[in-house]
Amino acid sequence: MGVYIAKRLAASAVTALLASIVVFLLVRSVPGDVVGQMLGQTSDPVAAKALREFFGLDQPVWRQYASWLGRVLAGDFGTSWTRGQPVMGMVGSALGVTIQLAAATLVLATAIGVPLGILAAIYEGRAPDRIVQAFNLLGLAAPVFWIGLMLLVGMSASFDWSPPLMYVPLHESVSENLSMIALPVLSLALLQAAAYSQFVRQSIVSALGQDYVRTAVAKGLSTRTVFFRHLLRNIGIPLVTFMGLILIQILGGAVIIESLFALPGLGRLLLSSIETRDYPVLQAGLLVVVVIAMLVNLVVDLSYRIIDPRVRLS
Amino acid sequence: MNASSVDPTFRQRVAKHARRLRHEPDLLIGLVLSGFVLLVVLFPGLFAGHSPLAVNVDRAMEAPSATHLFGTDDVGRDVLARVVYGARITLSICASALVLAALIGGVLGLLSGFVGGRIDMLFGRLIDVVLSFPPIIFGVMVTGILGPKTTNLIFALTVVYVPLFFRIARSGAMAEAGMIYVEAARSMGLSQGRILLRHIARNVLPVILVQCMVLFPLVLQIQSALGFLGLGVQPPTPDWGAILQQGKDYILLAPWMSAFPGLAILITALALMLVGRGLQRRMDRR
Repeated sequence: MGVYIAKRLAASAVTALLASIVVFLLVRSVPGDVVGQMLGQTSDPVAAKALREFFGLDQPVWRQYASWLGRVLAGDFGTSWTRGQPVMGMVGSALGVTIQLAAATLVLATAIGVPLGILAAIYEGRAPDRIVQAFNLLGLAAPVFWIGLMLLVGMSASFDWSPPLMYVPLHESVSENLSMIALPVLSLALLQAAAYSQFVRQSIVSALGQDYVRTAVAKGLSTRTVFFRHLLRNIGIPLVTFMGLILIQILGGAVIIESLFALPGLGRLLLSSIETRDYPVLQAGLLVVVVIAMLVNLVVDLSYRIIDPRVRLS
Repeated sequence: MNASSVDPTFRQRVAKHARRLRHEPDLLIGLVLSGFVLLVVLFPGLFAGHSPLAVNVDRAMEAPSATHLFGTDDVGRDVLARVVYGARITLSICASALVLAALIGGVLGLLSGFVGGRIDMLFGRLIDVVLSFPPIIFGVMVTGILGPKTTNLIFALTVVYVPLFFRIARSGAMAEAGMIYVEAARSMGLSQGRILLRHIARNVLPVILVQCMVLFPLVLQIQSALGFLGLGVQPPTPDWGAILQQGKDYILLAPWMSAFPGLAILITALALMLVGRGLQRRMDRR
């Protein structure tokens, strides 16, 4: 197990390194940089040259990359070129918001999606199944930002309520924080709940046709035992894989939802750093996203073994 | 192709497939809805009486009425016309990205799976790098950095979906390469290239085509999300995501500016999902 984890981490590190090179080259492959943004059209060439030297933008790209990588490996993500704050702190606080959003969404999506999926599977082909399937299809087809917009309209029209415009962290005011993230979480969760329930239904329906279920029923085991001890255990692995996928999807969806609801999360930070060409922030933010996605995948693969000891990791 | 040249067994096959539709209401609904969307794409003039670009500030933000079924936007343009003419723009971008991704991913995947060795290693690494980003974030990164232009948007969507086609084509090629018919072809002295093109590619193609249909709604979601973030097609061109982006600022004053383009995305995605699933099911059954 230890060897497996080490190998996986090494492979992930190589991919993350390649990804960081891609990002680095991409941001430097286009005309326009932070200096142009700062000084505007009527820039003084002497000042521009001095600023470029200050940011190291006059160096060859490979040297810029090497010095960036060296500092990152030493734990220093540098300073934001537009705000002058340490990148680490900016990314950290934005990540906190996105993690809260993702965690709440995952909980809500699981709480809605799993029971719906089980319900649909039990009543396969009958009315409850049809209704759940219609919900799934609509949930998967509706764009997440559109759900968010329509929730805003609906809340405003029926309760004369709109979410606050300024984000308040959870530790400052629980109620204000929750009223700020309620609609974003709901918009993201509806889509993921649909995906979840679709998946759970499909897994159970196909498991019900398997021999081991038939054997368990024929042995005279109660429905409850068959369901919890036999069936759920066997669909555990795909379910955990799916949870990982959903988490990564929420991370992506957060970019859109954060920009719609003005949440200061990682997605908004990425968007604003792209706009202002704030390379240190952009590079750090993207690296964090890639590393999180990789860790989620690793944890998913490791949990296979806990769920099913027969699984061999190689 | 004229009618007499159609081989009768082909016609029988079409008839058989059509008959089976009666037992698959979801696929039928999907086909009808997709047909409707296709009609809108091909003949927008049939569905919209106004120009999608004609500005009329005196009639800005009017609620839906008989003259403007979907209402008007912040500069008095007809929302129905914008949604109808937007179908062609939005869907042609998605379709081009899909075709390019299927082509590039398919060719690279076939090569990787059939040739193996170092090529397989190299392609595999590149694909892993793309897959290490959540798709939307990759799209935001590419379009954001390269600039909001239609070609950049198509490029970003293509790169995001190449890995999926690559994997399908690669595993298909690997599975087919071990088949007896390939060995037979080889022992008959056929060249590697010929085996790959005439035999393996031909057997992997249907899987890739079905995958195109399955992925279409997902491409549409990402395309419109990028448009919504202002990173896609730029106004005043009517693209569904871009219309929603403009409507966002007036969401409480003129919700119809956002409601209808969103519904258009929903209906199109639903139609394509139903068709994709139906095709996938038929494929799995074989």
